[in-house]
Amino acid sequence: MRKAGRLGKIRALVFVATVCAVSSGSASRAQSVDRMVTDNPPGRAGGEIVVALRSDPKTLNPALAADVPSRGIIYCMNADLIHINRETQKTESALAKSWSVSRDGRTYTLQLRRGLQFSDGKPFNADDVIFTFRVYLDEKTHSQQRDLLIIGGKPIAVQKIDDYTVRFELAQPYAAAERLFDGMPILPKHLLENAYDKGNFSKEWSISMRADEFAGLGPFRLKEYVPGQRLVLERNPYYWKVDGKGNRLPYLNEIVFLFVPSEDAQVIRFQAGDTDILSSFNAQNFAVLAREQAAKRYHLLDVGPGLEYNFLFFNLNDLAATHLPQISRKQVWFQDVRFRQAVSAAIDRDGIVRLVYGGRATPLWSQVTPGNKLWVDSALPHPARSLDHARELLKGAGFSWKSDGTLIDAQGNPVEFSILTSSSNAERTKMATIIQDDLSQLGMNVHVVSLDFGAMVDRLLNSFDYEAAIMGLASGDTDPTAEMNVWASTGGTHLWHLNETKPATPWEAEMDRLMNEQLITLNYEKRKRLYEQVQQIVAQDLPVICVASPDILVGAKERVGNFHPAILDPYALWNVEELYVH
Amino acid sequence: MRYLIRRVLNAMLLLAAISAFSFALLQWAPGDFFDAMRLNPRVSSQTVEGLRSKYGMNQTLPVRYGHWAFSVLKGDMGFSFSYNSPVGPLLWARARNTLLLTSIATLLAWLLAIPLGIWSAANKGRWGDRACGFSTSALLTIPDLLVFLVLLLLAVRTGWFPTGGMISTGFDNFTFWSKCKDVAVHFALPAVGLTVVTLPVLVRHIRSAMVEALESPFIRAARGHGIPRTRLLFRYALPAASNPLISLLGFSVATMLSASVIVEVIMSWPGLGPLMVQAILSRDVYVVVGVVMLSSVFLVAGNLLADVLLFVSDPRIRVE
Amino acid sequence: MKNRHKLWGALVLLAGLHGLVLFAGFFAPYGSAAQERELPFAPPTRIHFVDARGKFHVRPFVYGLKDDARIPGAFAADSTQVYPVHFFVQGSSYKIAGMFPSRLHFFGVSAPGRIFLLGSDGYGREQFTRFLYGGQISLAAGLIAAALSVLLGVIVGALAGFYGGWIDEVLMRGGELFLALPWLYLLFAVRAALPLHVAEWQVFLLLIAVIGLVGWARPARLIRGVVLSAKERNFVVAARAFGASDAYLLRRHVLPQTYGVILTQVALLVPQYVLAEVTLTFLGLGVGEPMPSWGSLLASLQQYYVLSSYWWMFLPAALLIPVFLAYYMAADALQERLKTVPL
Repeated sequence: MRKAGRLGKIRALVFVATVCAVSSGSASRAQSVDRMVTDNPPGRAGGEIVVALRSDPKTLNPALAADVPSRGIIYCMNADLIHINRETQKTESALAKSWSVSRDGRTYTLQLRRGLQFSDGKPFNADDVIFTFRVYLDEKTHSQQRDLLIIGGKPIAVQKIDDYTVRFELAQPYAAAERLFDGMPILPKHLLENAYDKGNFSKEWSISMRADEFAGLGPFRLKEYVPGQRLVLERNPYYWKVDGKGNRLPYLNEIVFLFVPSEDAQVIRFQAGDTDILSSFNAQNFAVLAREQAAKRYHLLDVGPGLEYNFLFFNLNDLAATHLPQISRKQVWFQDVRFRQAVSAAIDRDGIVRLVYGGRATPLWSQVTPGNKLWVDSALPHPARSLDHARELLKGAGFSWKSDGTLIDAQGNPVEFSILTSSSNAERTKMATIIQDDLSQLGMNVHVVSLDFGAMVDRLLNSFDYEAAIMGLASGDTDPTAEMNVWASTGGTHLWHLNETKPATPWEAEMDRLMNEQLITLNYEKRKRLYEQVQQIVAQDLPVICVASPDILVGAKERVGNFHPAILDPYALWNVEELYVH
Repeated sequence: MRYLIRRVLNAMLLLAAISAFSFALLQWAPGDFFDAMRLNPRVSSQTVEGLRSKYGMNQTLPVRYGHWAFSVLKGDMGFSFSYNSPVGPLLWARARNTLLLTSIATLLAWLLAIPLGIWSAANKGRWGDRACGFSTSALLTIPDLLVFLVLLLLAVRTGWFPTGGMISTGFDNFTFWSKCKDVAVHFALPAVGLTVVTLPVLVRHIRSAMVEALESPFIRAARGHGIPRTRLLFRYALPAASNPLISLLGFSVATMLSASVIVEVIMSWPGLGPLMVQAILSRDVYVVVGVVMLSSVFLVAGNLLADVLLFVSDPRIRVE
Repeated sequence: MKNRHKLWGALVLLAGLHGLVLFAGFFAPYGSAAQERELPFAPPTRIHFVDARGKFHVRPFVYGLKDDARIPGAFAADSTQVYPVHFFVQGSSYKIAGMFPSRLHFFGVSAPGRIFLLGSDGYGREQFTRFLYGGQISLAAGLIAAALSVLLGVIVGALAGFYGGWIDEVLMRGGELFLALPWLYLLFAVRAALPLHVAEWQVFLLLIAVIGLVGWARPARLIRGVVLSAKERNFVVAARAFGASDAYLLRRHVLPQTYGVILTQVALLVPQYVLAEVTLTFLGLGVGEPMPSWGSLLASLQQYYVLSSYWWMFLPAALLIPVFLAYYMAADALQERLKTVPL
């Protein structure tokens, strides 16, 4: 049996007996309230902060939101049962006061906090939880959460034990089950059930609805939305966290989200003092902002590498069904691990970190970044760039050089291929330009083809008409299960070779075995060893050649208190209930 | 009157054709809205396929066009994938802001361009004309984007102007006068930017039309009769030069609209621009078609206005 | 007489500029893609005649660069390293006019010295070199696109204006259709449909040509306006009454009156199409790296950090002004000359 609430973040769980009027019931009744006490330094109540978003939110419906701005706002308006602390990267109690796991790891019993209210004052209990998971699991909802709730091919079964106890049954043990609950915001049954029963759930909580049609358990609630301009959240007076001194959180009265469509414009607005917090901007802008740091009374933080890993990969897809003889011919090179290793050895990762990211990034040799404290294999070798080693590898694989330095394969064909990048991502295009120059020193003739994102994705996923590409992936969570679709040979993001019916290579078979085993292993140390092996395979057999991971950079005005940005999304606003202004 | 009715009918037909062609054109670009979702490691391909069929993306083009045309009649203008809502309401809220900005900038540009062009033509060959020619040429060589960015840089460095948005955050609590002032300073930068980028073309056209008119025999004759210079310029030469200028007016609407897309993105003006750019890149096709249709309406209206003005002002056309 | 001077001046200037661009390989000190990764965003190199001890040298020289102690990431001149500038030196290989291989450069400094006449970009590539090479593709693109637009525009505009009636109606509404359609998607489609191994410059020329082709509506409308009033002029009506054929009227009397508009249009369109690339880059359709073009040189200014930190990145933009001015001057002078020819 494991008990929650073991983290330093939560000092104690206290019962605060209050009398609250329950307007939905026929009569008022007295009830104890399980508030959560946080251990942040107490802040000043009141005030507002202004934050810029790249675009209007698309929807405030948690089951449908897929874009960053929507998810950022939904994060502030809702709460989940078990939460991932963005700072420690571990799970902690949220709406579930505590939970227990059965010995076989298949049954989770969650104790809910009592006496909580949604932001419209209506009470919260197990029925809301049951309703929420019914919605997420419904195929007709098309929620992104559903995929996470299918474990071992079967949906999780949710069962109400009593008003404040809910049981989740899994078809097989699942190591990251606790983490699943983060990202499953609890929905108010009293507001949404009607629409759901009528089959209109997908129309609910669209961005054009009135503020009083929304309710959540998060620290803030909707106040106002002006299309194209701003969205204002106001303090949820019913929020369930209090600080050590017994003050109700959140401290802020309002958060104003301004819609500023480009990163540079956001940087400018921050520099001009229009916004209080700035996150996800590039290192060059960091340098620009840093010059006026003291004069403009803001401070900038480099939180270190995030979870994003950028990589080069070759097209190893089965092209039998396509008409791409040119690419099939080149796959003979790409499939040779020595060729890939030579490319990896020739890439100037330090140069990329310096020129592309202004030094604010970490070179990578495998997919897990040093920011992922719990899972990174710190013993993984970091071989320095070596053209000599690359040439040796190529020689060993039957390549040779013409008198003018051009690399040719055993049949005498010159080595020439293209690298696809997305033109909307300046960093990756820059990376491709540097890699192109690096590889030309090996005598390879490389073209950079930068397409708009839609066209690129079409080639990667549908037509397979590409030779190599540069991509970046960042899963929302640190846990290896979030990466299943990338490394398992049947996964939908198994980019270098999609639609595999059985593993195409022995090392892919080994990766499948390791990934599937870690999925059901409950012991952390054992799991970590398994995932370290996966990292070693990625570094050795190079299905993708990892290059670099950019740092998470944030800035805030000096007046913002309790500002502790994390490398997990939402970087600067994860502890939004604790933020305050001096 | 009959002319007007015919032109309006024409315009409607034109809009229908634009919608059909836009639909076909959108089809050509590879990839769709849901492809990007497939790159999220936590979303399975079944879910993506489900969404695709839910939004009818697996149907044929004519069927989808039919659905869309029907929704236009309802005022929905199609359905946005990313906003999960009808396109119409998304457009109306933003179109107003775009229209406000572009009409002010158009007015400003013409008010400046007409006297400048006339003055330049009247002083043809003298240093004033040369300076005018030089500066308009120089302005033409600077891309729009750069003009806006330099203005923005100026705003950041000096702090005289806000660096984006349409109103300040505390707007609701302002008094009436500070509200007016607030909106005015927010207008300043984008409107000046738009004026600067459209001005040179206008001035050059007005100048060349005026030069041509001033050299025509009847003006020489008028000059010979000793008609005062101002009267000569405005009463005689300007009407003679107005024909190409009126056509130009119709076009300046289109130029203004395309320039405003960039200015809106850079200066976070809450208009159609940011919506459009995002929709283009994410392949939110119905939003794109919606914006295209809306700007076509503006454009067609501009041309219609120009034609009507031409009809009224040029007897030669009227006779036909 | 004065006008003739103006025209000749403009033409000589244009010829000189095109010569520089055509023989970019000779005039540029480096190859267009040569990176110097240790020196990103280096400022323009100052050329000295007087050394640190106050001694005058006939042969100009430059100093090497070291990290600026005061500003992180910036560079300062290191007066301990002196590299004289040599003329007619051997350097990286290139092809004269795309055919004859050569290694001769107009000027250069011996390695490890570097001369950045206009500073270096984010990869440490010399900007003057990239400006010269960039002109090759950009001028070609601008001329091709402007020629295509105006050619189509003249044909359509003349037909519509001259014949009027339903022809006019159809052509002009077609023009509006062309103006309104989201051609960007056509560009996306064309770009995406091209095979992977088409060279960057070919892709770019194709895209610009497409823009030129769909850009006929504007000139067509202006030309139509002129034709419309031209055909009502007395001498045209008279010629028609004498039984002149349509073709004769168009060629002999109507089209000559449009030359002014045509030349103004070309003069306006060439720079516009060269600059169109900046917007294309904004949407990810510009010339691919590492190929330089004028548009991509300007496009780097889009990034706020470049705009606000490195003033020398504006220099290519400043150099474009005289280039385009020469075009406008030539067009103006030509236009005035044609006017003096009796109709």
